[in-house]
This record gives sequence, C-alpha cells and structure tokens, in this order.
Amino acid sequence: MFKKNTVAAGVAAFATIALATGCAVAEGNKSDDVDITAMSADELAEYMIFESDSFRYDQVPQEGGTMEERMTQDEIQAACSIEGDPDGETAGRVVALAREQYEAPEGDIELGDWQRGEELAFSGYGYRIGHRIDDHSTREAGGNCVNCHVFDEDGPAQGTIGPSLVNYGATRGDSQAIREYVHQVINNPHQYFPCAEMPRFQGLLSEEQISHIMAYMLDPESPVNN
Amino acid sequence: MFKKALLALPVAMAVGGAAQAGEWQDPADVLNNLLEANPDSAYLHQSEMNIMMMPDNPALWVADDGEELFYQERGPNNASLESCDFGKGPGVLDGAYVELPRYFEDVGKVMDFEQRLVHCMKEIQGFDEDDAAVAQRHGSGSDIMQLTTYIAMQSSGMEWQPQNDHPEEQALIAAGEKLFFRRGGAQDFNCAACHGQSGKRIRASVLPQMRNSQEWTKAVSWPAQRAGHDNVRSQNHRIRGCVWQMRHAAIKPDSMANTALIAFWNDAARGEPAILPDLKR
Repeated sequence: MFKKNTVAAGVAAFATIALATGCAVAEGNKSDDVDITAMSADELAEYMIFESDSFRYDQVPQEGGTMEERMTQDEIQAACSIEGDPDGETAGRVVALAREQYEAPEGDIELGDWQRGEELAFSGYGYRIGHRIDDHSTREAGGNCVNCHVFDEDGPAQGTIGPSLVNYGATRGDSQAIREYVHQVINNPHQYFPCAEMPRFQGLLSEEQISHIMAYMLDPESPVNN
Repeated sequence: MFKKALLALPVAMAVGGAAQAGEWQDPADVLNNLLEANPDSAYLHQSEMNIMMMPDNPALWVADDGEELFYQERGPNNASLESCDFGKGPGVLDGAYVELPRYFEDVGKVMDFEQRLVHCMKEIQGFDEDDAAVAQRHGSGSDIMQLTTYIAMQSSGMEWQPQNDHPEEQALIAAGEKLFFRRGGAQDFNCAACHGQSGKRIRASVLPQMRNSQEWTKAVSWPAQRAGHDNVRSQNHRIRGCVWQMRHAAIKPDSMANTALIAFWNDAARGEPAILPDLKR
C-alpha cells in the first residue's frame, strides 16, 4: 500500500483543489483574489502548492490516486520539513511514527540475487512525472541507491550524500539480526535516522526487489564485499 | 562581432554611471575571482574543462542571437522589446536581471524574469499564448532562451539583489524558503536533501550548498550552457529538472510557486556577483 493513503485524510486543510486545466503554463498567480501578505510563510507555501495553479495536477501518479495526494504531506514529511537536524522532541516523534509505519516481514528474511540488486541499486528509473513520465509498465522502478551511497569503488561514479556502504556485509556479517536491521532501514530509515534524506522504500519497491538489494549489500559474493 | 560588443559594454556602463550594485564584468572573470576566493570548494572547481572553456562559452553566441531578436520589430504588433520594462524603466537592461523577481505595479504582482519577458512579448509584440515565440521555453534555438541569455548578460558581475521592499516580494521570498525545505512527493525529497551540505555528490556531480552564497551564486547563475545537454538552459529549466528528480508534481512556468522558488534562490545568493552566462556540466 502506498504510504500516503493512511494519512492523506488528516491533512485536508488546504486541499481545496484547483480545477485541472491541462494547461502547461500557469494562468498567472492569483494574487488578485487573495492577500498573500496576510498569510504566514507556511500558509502561503501550502496555498502555492494546492491552490495557486502552480502544479500540473492533471497527471496520474504511478502509484495510483492523484498528484494532489502525492503532494500532500504525511506526518513524517511535515515534521522533517526543517533546516538541519531535528530537535530531540521531533526526532523522538519521527522515530515513533516510523516504527508505526514499518511493516516487518513474516518469518526469516531471505536474500535475493545480488546481481539483480546491483541493477536496482544503479537504476534511477521510477516515479518521475512531468515533461517525461516514467512508465512502470515498460520498466520497473529502481532504488536509485548509488545516487547517494558508494557501494563498489570499482564501479561507475556513485554519490556521497549518504554513508559509504563499501564492505557493508564483509564487516557486519549476514546474520538474521543484520538482515532485519537492513530491511528496516531500507523500508523506513527514520526508525534509526529521524529526518534522514533517504526515501522510505516501503511501498515503492516490492519485497522481492528489496531482497535483491539486500543481497547486493550482504552476499559474500557481491562486489560490495570484495 | 560579439567580442566587440563584450568590450564595448563596460565602457558604456562607466559612462552611464549606472545605479546597480557592481559594474559589468566578463563572466569568465567573475568565475575566476570566485575560484580564487574558494580554493577548497569542490563544487566550484569540479570541471577543469568547463572552467577552461568559459572564454569560448557557446552561450555567448546565443546571447548574440538574442541581441538581434531584442531590437527586431516582431510579432503581430511589429514592435521591438525596447519598451519592455524589466523593473528599471523601459528598455533598461543593465543590472535588471539580477534584481528580479520584483513587484510590478502594472500587473499588481511579483514576476520572475521569464514571466516578465513573456508578458512583454504578449503585451508589446502581440504574441499569443500558443505562438512558438512564447510557448517554446527551452533550447538554444528558442526565442525565449536567446532573449534571456542576451538580457541576463547585461547583469554579469553585478550582485544578486532580488527586490524585497514590497510586502509581496517579502512574502514570496519567505514562502520560497518554506518550499525549499518542504519534504514531499513519492520519495520524501526536498531541495535541501541535495543542497544542504557542501562537497557532496549525486553520482559524479558535486552539488552546491544553498547556504554557501559563493557556491550558490554559481548554482543560480542561469542562463548557462549546459555542456551535457549541448544547450543553454534557464533557471526555469533547472527548477523543472530538480522537481522531476524529486518525484514531486510538475511545476508550471510563470506560476506563483515557481516565482517564489526563484525569489528565494536569488535571495540566497544576495550580494554575490552573477556569472552571466555561465557554463555548467
């Protein structure tokens, strides 16, 4: 289930949806109709998102539902819309929310195929919309992991926003406890790293895809560990 | 022919005694000064090739084409753009680009550069919404990008000073900052996910940090020749690409949210010299 559905109802305050015009250019901002200087910066930002005809809400998101729903924040997104690290209270609340959202697999966690995992870690395809739309019926969404993490120093360029994962399995082993931890972080990193930049992959990737990415990280044969 | 124009400009500026912050400087010199002042910035120094190519930036030819277009009598009204007011008076281009977005009395709202350019092309030249001249927003061959590059270039070396005296200007800058940090979309991203730290990379690209104003002035210095695209790109094009990568809903040009983001962007580079046009990877 896509993660927004559970919380979208709670954030309807600004969800007076502008009519989808299908027009690629805005009709112009609506400052004639409304005094934008009477709003707080937060109110004005939400007004801009949902009521100023600034976004193409006529397109259909890959996960189903509407683009307004995709742009509606859930509680973790709202709490983490801050500059810098969260304070202690926020961090605690985000961790608690993330634990609530996380769906643990039943039984032992099996690793998939590290070669498939490598492909998924390098694939930036999926969920993009606008002037070009990712078509999930012709190509599966990837994990985009290498945008931010180095996995394999011998591979093509990999990013550094997140920590290096070189030798991840080689230094930590491949116990059920490690597998459970990695599964938790991939699905909902806020359980351990509140307000981390990393996406929550629960619902974005299938359990099978995640098992392949975990194999890429943990399988002793994977280039990550060699 | 273009090189001549380059040399003539600073002379004209000196004679005119313009009021904007800073004098016109060759974009290659602006970049060199930033590089020397920031020897440790991985972002600014990431492409030796592009730094070397600055004096021969292909965007300079696009600016040349834009100059011709600007003075040409065009559109259903057979008018040039010389009466277009970008905020410093009709036809005044020196330093106009770096002071945008700003509030315009004649429309009663804040406009960013591209929105204002399109407004003038419609109102003065009589182009219709669907005419290619205003509908085609991207690519070095488009009227919009040629005009943008020429007009922006008249502000090279001058400081970013997006106007912030009018309450609506202040409101857009403040809301633009909220949008920059607003997490959302299919993958929880905000702009700060990529622009919150210095020296970090997405794959091979070193990213500019928004709070580092000397990195950020290069980051927002569009139009720029985008080497990997072999085209001159605009601020609007950069925003569209970021929003697409962030898996948010597509943002519309000339919209309030787009203008607010640009107002905040340029505000974050306030006081730093603009590199116009720039050359990026």
